[in-house]
Amino acid sequence: MSPAFPFQTGGAAAEFATLLGDHAGLCITDRTAWPRFGLKGPGSTGWLEGAGISLPGLNRVAAQADLLVLRLGDNDITVLGSSETLNGISSLRVRWEAAAGPKGYSSWREEAWAWLHLDGPELDQTLARCCAVDLRLGRFAADQIAQTRFAHVDAVVLRRDGGADILFDIAASSAVIKIIRESGGHP
Amino acid sequence: MTRLDPPFGRRIDRSRPVAFTFEGQRYDGYEGDTIASALAASGQWMLSRSFKYHRPRGVFSMTGAEANTLVQVGSEPNLAADMTPLRNGMIVTAQNFKGSLARDRDAILDRLGRFMPVGFYYRTFMGPGRKAWLKWWEPLIRARAGLGLVDPAAVPEGFDKSHLHCDVLIVGGGPAGLSAAIKAAEAGADVILCDENPELGGRLTYLPEQGACLSERIETAHRLKSLRIMTGTVCNGWFEDNWLPLIQGKTMHRCRAGQVIIATGGIEQPAVFRGNDLPGIMTGGAVSRLVHHYGVRPGERAVILAGTPEAFDVADTLALAGTRIAGIVLPRALPGQESRIEQLRAAGCELIHGRIDVAQGRGHLREVCVGDRRIRCDLLAVSVGHAPAWQLPCQAGANLGYDDATGRFSLDMTRGDVQLAGSVAGKAGTSTVIADGERAAAVALRALGHHAPDITLPDDAGLLLAHCPLPLDPHPKGRDFVDFDEDLQVKDLINAVKEGYRELELVKRFSTVGMGPSQGRHSALATARIVAAATGRRVADTGVTTARPPVGPETLGVLAGHGHVDERRTALHVRHVAAGAEMRPVGAWRRPYLYGQGDRATLIAEEVRAVREGVGVLDVSTLGKLEVRGPDAGAFLDRLYTMAHAGQPVGKVRYCLMLNEMAAVIDDGVAFRMAEDQFYVTATTGAIARVYADMALWNAQWRMRVDVANLTSAFSGLNLTGPKARQVLQSLPSDIDFSTEGFRYLEGHTGQVAGVPVRAMRIGFTGELSFELHCPSSYALALWDALMRAGAPFDLRPYGLEASRVLRLEKGHILIGQDTDALTSPDELGFGWAVSKNKDFFIGKRALQMRRALGVARRLVGLTFAHGAEVPGECCLVLRGGKPGGHVTSVAFSPTLGRTIALAFVHADDAMEGSPVTIRARSGKEITATVAGHAFFDPKNQRQEI
Repeated sequence: MSPAFPFQTGGAAAEFATLLGDHAGLCITDRTAWPRFGLKGPGSTGWLEGAGISLPGLNRVAAQADLLVLRLGDNDITVLGSSETLNGISSLRVRWEAAAGPKGYSSWREEAWAWLHLDGPELDQTLARCCAVDLRLGRFAADQIAQTRFAHVDAVVLRRDGGADILFDIAASSAVIKIIRESGGHP
Repeated sequence: MTRLDPPFGRRIDRSRPVAFTFEGQRYDGYEGDTIASALAASGQWMLSRSFKYHRPRGVFSMTGAEANTLVQVGSEPNLAADMTPLRNGMIVTAQNFKGSLARDRDAILDRLGRFMPVGFYYRTFMGPGRKAWLKWWEPLIRARAGLGLVDPAAVPEGFDKSHLHCDVLIVGGGPAGLSAAIKAAEAGADVILCDENPELGGRLTYLPEQGACLSERIETAHRLKSLRIMTGTVCNGWFEDNWLPLIQGKTMHRCRAGQVIIATGGIEQPAVFRGNDLPGIMTGGAVSRLVHHYGVRPGERAVILAGTPEAFDVADTLALAGTRIAGIVLPRALPGQESRIEQLRAAGCELIHGRIDVAQGRGHLREVCVGDRRIRCDLLAVSVGHAPAWQLPCQAGANLGYDDATGRFSLDMTRGDVQLAGSVAGKAGTSTVIADGERAAAVALRALGHHAPDITLPDDAGLLLAHCPLPLDPHPKGRDFVDFDEDLQVKDLINAVKEGYRELELVKRFSTVGMGPSQGRHSALATARIVAAATGRRVADTGVTTARPPVGPETLGVLAGHGHVDERRTALHVRHVAAGAEMRPVGAWRRPYLYGQGDRATLIAEEVRAVREGVGVLDVSTLGKLEVRGPDAGAFLDRLYTMAHAGQPVGKVRYCLMLNEMAAVIDDGVAFRMAEDQFYVTATTGAIARVYADMALWNAQWRMRVDVANLTSAFSGLNLTGPKARQVLQSLPSDIDFSTEGFRYLEGHTGQVAGVPVRAMRIGFTGELSFELHCPSSYALALWDALMRAGAPFDLRPYGLEASRVLRLEKGHILIGQDTDALTSPDELGFGWAVSKNKDFFIGKRALQMRRALGVARRLVGLTFAHGAEVPGECCLVLRGGKPGGHVTSVAFSPTLGRTIALAFVHADDAMEGSPVTIRARSGKEITATVAGHAFFDPKNQRQEI
């Protein structure tokens, strides 16, 4: 049985999947199904470091062997994978489940967050309309994390490779993609 | 038409004619015109009627600074005609008149002014009789209140919000702002320069001799890549941390700046004399703007009130425009201006020493009186000086000072991240103003870490004569207006002081001075002088009224922005819609209200019956879901909830009741102890955000070994309920034993159902056998589909929110927020069983003890009604001795019981089962209900525990 996410067939925001893709200078890619693994609470940092993950400072992101390590709090870390790093995240999770404590607790980021990647010439304008943080390249460092409001919902925002990754409440997927499209790159 | 040939009219494009209507009559203008300039070019000077006395009003400043020019365009009221760009096909109407603008029947009020002195409304509308207000005055005032017409059918379109960030924000694109922007951008700073006008340059745009200098600077500005120029943009306030709203058309840009340079210049002040509000009387700046910006000759025969040297520039402009100057009135000597005065005299202008006492005319200026002299004219240009545009600086913390000797106001800015530049900083001469902009930029740059040398300002020779404070003694016949917006005269303010309102803020509230659209731009400083004189103080002692944001009028549409709808969907949204659900908003969530089409009562009754007799399923994914984990998780919950959790066995589910520090019930849910160090806790849909925030706050304060995770969206929940619920689950592959013995009431188990990982709890809201299955949201569809397939032989059907409400009411279960209010205690609900007697502490315990000592004044009870009796609505009052003693909290028709049932707060002495209580129904009729026990259905809980 495979999990189903909002923009997939039968998902809660499936009717808005047409807003994904490249339209009028803004490309929106759904990465909700991409693997990720989050730990939270006492023991999280120790276990991850023991597992060979180098942790960045607070509100910073570090790239490590095709993974991105997000430090969202003292004891709140999420590791983002990609479509190519499914096994890496899975093996990390398996090791964690098998480990004895203290090892932190799952933050269930793979279920709680939708993940959209934005890119294109309309990106800066879209970000400015959706978010109060100055997310312009050069102003927002590549290793910076914004834990902020984006399109009226709580969100974590990263800038990578000229684009932006937005991780937000999965239940708000339909509203957020509509707002992003209204803000830039109207189809 | 009074259009002048080029080079006059720099803002209009004569190759692009524009047609529009005003008061139903067609007018022509050009692209680049404002509504007011196009009307003025066609000789239409009267634009509106004044607020109180319905006096004719027209162009005064050409800066949108007063209510004189407010018009309605289509469905949008209160647009400043002197700032609103003209568009082809515009339908413009005037405001605040009865009949026609030219023949306003309400103009009679101008003759009844003696019966409407300042503050008359505070006394007048109190009588005669107790009901006079509602019966007579309120309808009368409502019919006359407000300016313009709101179109309820208007569709807000195009409103938007965005964010801007920069190193330096410069407000005002005049000579100071422009030079500051160039200086800062050349140094490498990221700069935004905004100006409310359609072009940069400020006063340089109407001083022809400065034209070359201006063009060069604007070209330089446009070449600078790190300088963003925003014309047509109003900065409408300053807020903490240099947060400023920039309103550009229908978009509000919320700008955050490292440094702010305020270069908003000065506000040209009116002169106060009888009849000073007639159309045809305007500031010298307005004259120059009309001529140079729009190519409009403002009059044929002009008088100039020359209180400052700027008046001579106005005279030059009028001469070039072909207006005959009938006289120049000099209210004071102007040392150093002798040669210019002589030039004017030589050109045939009559120079009159004195002040203007009266202006007269019907609908437009006809003559002015200087002492005994009457001078025929259709234009009076008033040049008596500027006051610094103090609103933004004062919002940012500047102090406004006043020099009694020179009559000049000054601003003193103490913040390091806000600079003042140019006229707003008290500079007068153009070269000084430009240099001051560069100086302010240098200060801002240094604060940002750039290298920038000090800049020395040249002597500001024109400063001493920059303002001419004319006497403000009242004319015996009045109509010497201080505040055009509110029709306030000098005597009104003096009378306000005589009423005992000595302080300026009180005078403002009593008289409404400065409370109109202009927000005191033209009235605040004169008011300060009048009140100071009337109270025997100095202006420096009275100060001016507080200048709060917004600086100018802003539309609600701009504040509302794009109107995005906050929407959250459960993972099962598509299944609900496919099943014919009527989706309704519950907070931000969309939830099924009921399923199917047809008579609603019938559909709801069918859903209720399905649960009572068979099996139903409700999507409860919107419930708050929290994981509280860590060695101290139980102890943590003990402090937050009223029941005991530290000793709660693993695998058990326990009710949770949360109080605030006043012992008021704020939430409830259940806690499933999944492991020694792990609880899965539910909260109500509406309270989860607060509960999670409270938990995070207390966790930070108590520093226990606990982590709290909000899994509301991460997990979905399905409540399978009804006598056949067990059979449905047992027909699915699962490693959980769903038998009576294997899964008892208030137990929780984890495992898999149909291959889906679930957290299952035997709890229920309906009073029936219920299993609540929670699973990771990405598996919710699979679980739903599996349940529906397995449930088909048992006629499993989904039910909606309304059926859920009825089911719980039949069982007497409360809804937090509906059956509780901000003060409801557990004892009032009869929830003493849910409060631990053994715990030393939980939030609200102390208050609960104190409230218990006071006794319980009301209790929540069930109510039944006689068959055929009128049924009260929710919130209807429960009376005791004719006085309110409680209210109905929930009421519904029970399909199961065949009668209407309700929950209500009643006086504690009436809470005994069988007691009659009186309720005032919405019809006003008093009806009798009978107190029942809490549970109307299955009071012994035999069904839910099978």
